[in-house]
Amino acid sequence: MDERKQSGNGIPLLQLRDLVVEYYTRSGVVRAVDSVDLDIYKGEVVGLVGESGCGKSTLGMALLRLVRSPGKITSGKILFKGKDILTLSENAMRDLRGPEISMIFQDPMTSLDPLQRIDDHFVESIRAHDKHISKEDAIKRAAELFDLLGIAPDRLQDYPHQLSGGMRQRVMIGLALALDADLIVADEPTTSLDVLVEAQFLDLLKDLRRRYNMTLILITHNIGIVAELADRVAVMYAGEIVELGDAGPLFAEPLHPYTDALLGSVPNIKLDEELKIMGGQPPDLLDPPAGCRFHPRCPYAMDRCREEEPPWQEIQPGHWAACWLYAEGKRETLHG
Amino acid sequence: MAEHFIAVENLKMWFPVQQDFIEGLFSHQREFVRAVDGVSFHIDRGEVFGLAGESGSGKTTTGRLILRLLEPTGGRIDFDGRDITHLSEAAMRPLRRRMQVIFQDPNASLNPRMTIGKAVGHALEIHNVAHGDKAKERVLEMLTRMGLTPPDRYYRLYPHQISGGQRQRVVMARALILRPDFLVADEPIAMADVSVRAMLLDLLRRLKDDFHLTYLFITHDLATAKYICDRIAVMYLGQIVEIGSVDQVYSNPLHPYTQALLAAVPVPDPKFRRTAPIPKGEIPNPIHPPSGCRFHARCAYARERCRTEQPLLLPVEGEPGHFVSCHMFGENGWKPVAQEVQI
Repeated sequence: MDERKQSGNGIPLLQLRDLVVEYYTRSGVVRAVDSVDLDIYKGEVVGLVGESGCGKSTLGMALLRLVRSPGKITSGKILFKGKDILTLSENAMRDLRGPEISMIFQDPMTSLDPLQRIDDHFVESIRAHDKHISKEDAIKRAAELFDLLGIAPDRLQDYPHQLSGGMRQRVMIGLALALDADLIVADEPTTSLDVLVEAQFLDLLKDLRRRYNMTLILITHNIGIVAELADRVAVMYAGEIVELGDAGPLFAEPLHPYTDALLGSVPNIKLDEELKIMGGQPPDLLDPPAGCRFHPRCPYAMDRCREEEPPWQEIQPGHWAACWLYAEGKRETLHG
Repeated sequence: MAEHFIAVENLKMWFPVQQDFIEGLFSHQREFVRAVDGVSFHIDRGEVFGLAGESGSGKTTTGRLILRLLEPTGGRIDFDGRDITHLSEAAMRPLRRRMQVIFQDPNASLNPRMTIGKAVGHALEIHNVAHGDKAKERVLEMLTRMGLTPPDRYYRLYPHQISGGQRQRVVMARALILRPDFLVADEPIAMADVSVRAMLLDLLRRLKDDFHLTYLFITHDLATAKYICDRIAVMYLGQIVEIGSVDQVYSNPLHPYTQALLAAVPVPDPKFRRTAPIPKGEIPNPIHPPSGCRFHARCAYARERCRTEQPLLLPVEGEPGHFVSCHMFGENGWKPVAQEVQI
């Protein structure tokens, strides 16, 4: 939060410039991520939200250059600490994954080796980062991390299947910490967890970010956990970022009609408001609509929205949106 | 208990634990997972009754027991004034038309090789309600009511040709084609996208009125339950810890577990960020549930009595219909302090 503003003058940890990811399918080319620009600063938590198929997971995979065939990063730049990782060799990229950028997935079982005990995972990670550390010292460090994660150290001897889902996810974040990763990308990290376990995991993330000044990109469809944790929020729709801003203003006064509709459709346990129902469906990305991609579902759509792509504008300091309402000076349409 | 549409009393479902051969030779006792362990509640006609809890709380098993998809280990189930606890499969058959279920995953519920028209109309044929053109007519009408228009287009499509939200509407159409009066909805919107969820919830509410339905709404999501349920029971390790109207349970939660669950629900607004930490620990092993109150190991208020003596579900004074199962409640006017969420 504040750290970001203080260090905000420095260069961002990660800069995406005009990033395009395309899938070459039999029926045609799908632009899953379309000309995305985004800066991530050290120490901040950025929530990347959207519904299935909006391109948020593809974007996450692109940050590690892990987009699978038939997908391909076709243009743009991913500057990590000022260096374009798209120009790195596959070997250099492998060294970057883990120690520099770590990724956490929805299902931790896919990332843990079922035949390896938890402590071996930690020893491997710690030694990947610090080649001179002895195995005993590495295990000692792992035990310290376990304490921090709230898992009894005797569970270090367990195999992944012996841990609960919540513990496994905590192990994943622990491994990222063991590697001392500069950036953690978490794709739906709590989606497979129960409500209480999810809340415990969010508590842990809050604690860890304070201790380690962790930088986290939180990719999720769960608006609630983004509201709980994120400093800034990027909203994706049909492959594009349509709104970006600090969590407070973005939730209080969303600028893009899609964000407004999305937030209105989520039940809020603290309030007694009726849900707003968003009509229509996200477009087929094989043949996206002309102009603004949200226009067929937008209650405020004007002629211009059907023809021209809206400009990406900073409407308030730090609060960006791609919507014609603002260029046309019709701001009050949304917040009258 | 004849007055209630559905009444469940001291319902139990113990699943035997598979032992390996050697263990089986030497042990005298069979072990059981007590998935549902002494649950009682009723549902009135036209009501939406919620069952909430985490995975492993026994909410889904309770739903399956009421539908008689499982043979209960103990207790009693009354459906519309009739004891159905041990009815034979044949005797259940005519009742099956009246009770339907929809599950979380529409992909798992639909046969990928069956057109939507066939999937929805199938039950009409099986139950010998309508055939041929008459059946088709009813299917088309039902698809229209689900908002799947034009219906004859959807009639011919296969499940993979439509979106997930539409698939769930097909599942609903299939469940309602026989005009049941009771519907078990087991996490019906959990798989759907955020914007689709609101639409499905709205549809469920409208269908309830249009078809005079009674719902058992099973969910882990207390925010969703608040929008659709009239009354709610919170389950923990096979037992109900608190039950009451949504208003009672949400505005005056009395069981520490209910309070924790309510506090844990992520609120889609940073104004309501949670400040109090969530109790540590996870749901224990249901084969050897904790003695006394099953929540005691995770409860901040637990005392000696909670470790040894099982609390009973007792009425809350001044709140008819509100029951809580906690030793601490009512003792010397004691009440657990709900974890305040600060703005």
